[in-house]
Amino acid sequence: MKEVLWLVANSLRSIFTNKRRIFSYVLVPLLGIFIAFMAYGDTGPAKLHAGIVDLDKSTLSKNTTSFIAGLDNIKVSNVSQTTVKNKISSGTLDCAIILEPGFSKAIMNGEKPEIEIVSIKGAQVTAFIKAYLNNYIGNLHSLSTAANGDTAVFNTLYQNYKNAEFKVSAHSLKDTSKNNDMTIQTIGFLLMIMLNSAGGLSELILKEKENRTYFRLMSAPIDGKKYVLSNIIVNMVIMTIQVVVTLTAMTQVFGISAGIPFWEMTGVMMFFALVSVGLSLVITAFATSSTSASALQNLIMTPTCLLAGCFWPVEIMPKTAQKIADFLPQRWLLDTLTELQKGHTLGSLSLNLATLFAFALVFFMIAIYKFGRNNNVRSFI
Amino acid sequence: MNVLEIKNLTKKFGDFIAVDNMSLAVQEGEIFGFLGSNGAGKSTTINMIAGLLQTNGGEIKILDKNIASHSKLAKMNIGIVPQDLAIYEDMTAYENVRFFAGLYGLRGAELKERVEEALVFVGLLDKQKSLPKDFSGGMKRRLNIACAIAHRPKLIIMDEPTVGIDPQSRNYILTSVRKLNEMGCTVIYTSHYMEEVEEICSRIAIMDHGKVIAEGTKEQLKAIITDTRDIWVEVKNTENLEEAALKEIKGVNSISIEENVIKINSQSEVNNLNHIIQFFISRLIEIRSLQEQAPNLETVFLTLTGRNLRD
Repeated sequence: MKEVLWLVANSLRSIFTNKRRIFSYVLVPLLGIFIAFMAYGDTGPAKLHAGIVDLDKSTLSKNTTSFIAGLDNIKVSNVSQTTVKNKISSGTLDCAIILEPGFSKAIMNGEKPEIEIVSIKGAQVTAFIKAYLNNYIGNLHSLSTAANGDTAVFNTLYQNYKNAEFKVSAHSLKDTSKNNDMTIQTIGFLLMIMLNSAGGLSELILKEKENRTYFRLMSAPIDGKKYVLSNIIVNMVIMTIQVVVTLTAMTQVFGISAGIPFWEMTGVMMFFALVSVGLSLVITAFATSSTSASALQNLIMTPTCLLAGCFWPVEIMPKTAQKIADFLPQRWLLDTLTELQKGHTLGSLSLNLATLFAFALVFFMIAIYKFGRNNNVRSFI
Repeated sequence: MNVLEIKNLTKKFGDFIAVDNMSLAVQEGEIFGFLGSNGAGKSTTINMIAGLLQTNGGEIKILDKNIASHSKLAKMNIGIVPQDLAIYEDMTAYENVRFFAGLYGLRGAELKERVEEALVFVGLLDKQKSLPKDFSGGMKRRLNIACAIAHRPKLIIMDEPTVGIDPQSRNYILTSVRKLNEMGCTVIYTSHYMEEVEEICSRIAIMDHGKVIAEGTKEQLKAIITDTRDIWVEVKNTENLEEAALKEIKGVNSISIEENVIKINSQSEVNNLNHIIQFFISRLIEIRSLQEQAPNLETVFLTLTGRNLRD
């Protein structure tokens, strides 16, 4: 074990005295957080940006605008009809509410007023506004019915309604969906970095073969199994650092609440670290040179990350792709985290964890078998 | 006492027999030369001694211990200087030696002392903080040696340690080999440079097709071929040379031609020099020089294997 520790210490010293390696192993994983920010914006309470096009310009239409502006989590701005399309397509606005001419008159007559809600984000944005507007306009209709077409009575009733002393206290629940999505986005990127890091570190075995230092290592009192064990330990140390640094930065520095306890999430990620090391050893065992190992890594890791939903929700992919994703460890890891975010306990996700462990076990066994079949001086085990 | 003892060693790669029932013994305090052309089985043998390759039969003993059952002990007592440089380019000279010495369990003050000792020995102490990429070929070779000796092995195996370096570095390395030997190390030395082996080795084994075909001191090896002699004839051109007719001359064993020099191996007891000279004159082949060479290792190797060492 003394020799293994010596190898591990030397490898870690070599990594952490090299700025380029520190950058690639420790700082690059943080890029996932920035990507998540770019995809989802800031992490504050989700504010809906609504543009109001008031073509009626009546007291009622102005009051309706004020009502919408008074709602929680909505930021309102008055826009002109000509700019609506541009602002929505550029993402400046989430939706636009167009109060058509005759809005006020229709309410006074007890008719349904013309309101158009424009958005490219679908019902998740428009349904919320529609519900509030329906409620508000329903109240105005009731006042209009009570006034029986008399504008003066309606105005009096409306003023009383506005100045009513009862107050409804509304408590909004915190919207965690964006934080959850950002966490999955960050983890998705981290998974790819972990796979690449493990690949790079295992590739060192092939590089040692190529630069002949393995010859001297193996002629020292250390055998192939100890050498590979030291590589696995270094791999696990680096990936533990990657996981802890990324999750700490995500939760403590960037304030993204993952919705899962820190150490629970770290523990789950360590299952994937084992999978990464196993897969990288398989690639190393089958590759004939470090160049072919790099090519194999690119061929395996990037497509599987894309398929498994590391960069976008797996739900948007075709059903066939989703079925393929079920055979990928990345998918099982992301699924485990998503379920934990929904409130499941680790105990109830034991099948997910067992599957991840099985992936790692199979990879290690294939690698050991392949290493053992080598019968030349370039083999280690 | 035998530092290394090999008995009936065999190694096969598929149907190819790389080492064929080979036996050999190296005694303590020797500088043992190991000669063989490419593919003779030298490197395979060294790899098996170093524990890098499994054997297919036979046994290897280091200091009377079988390496199959005493692998760690054997490795602790061996220092390998591989033919290809085995150093880390991104580590300083000091770090390289320290790392490899640490694999042998050295730590702390003892490790520091041994590393410095090895660097002093190869003349690189003043370059200890430099990276090998800034070294000349000779300096890298010396660092390669330092990495192999810091743990003070009893047996040092040097595989072509002087390939591709300048004469000054070569002399330095040859002197180092002698010094190591004087300090009590047994050395196994392989080289393509016959004059190096002849200069420093006390005993030599010649390997061919996986077998040791001759073994002994320089004198003993030369004695094997004292019944023959080499006659070197340099001519103006070899256009009219009839090789078959030259071989017909009584006593001639073989001839080889390199450019305008004809090397004739002849039986010692047959006095055929006049006939040979007559052969060239009668064919109007102008003789520029003629000399008879005493047998050397090159001649021994050529006679025994039918090939030059560099073939």
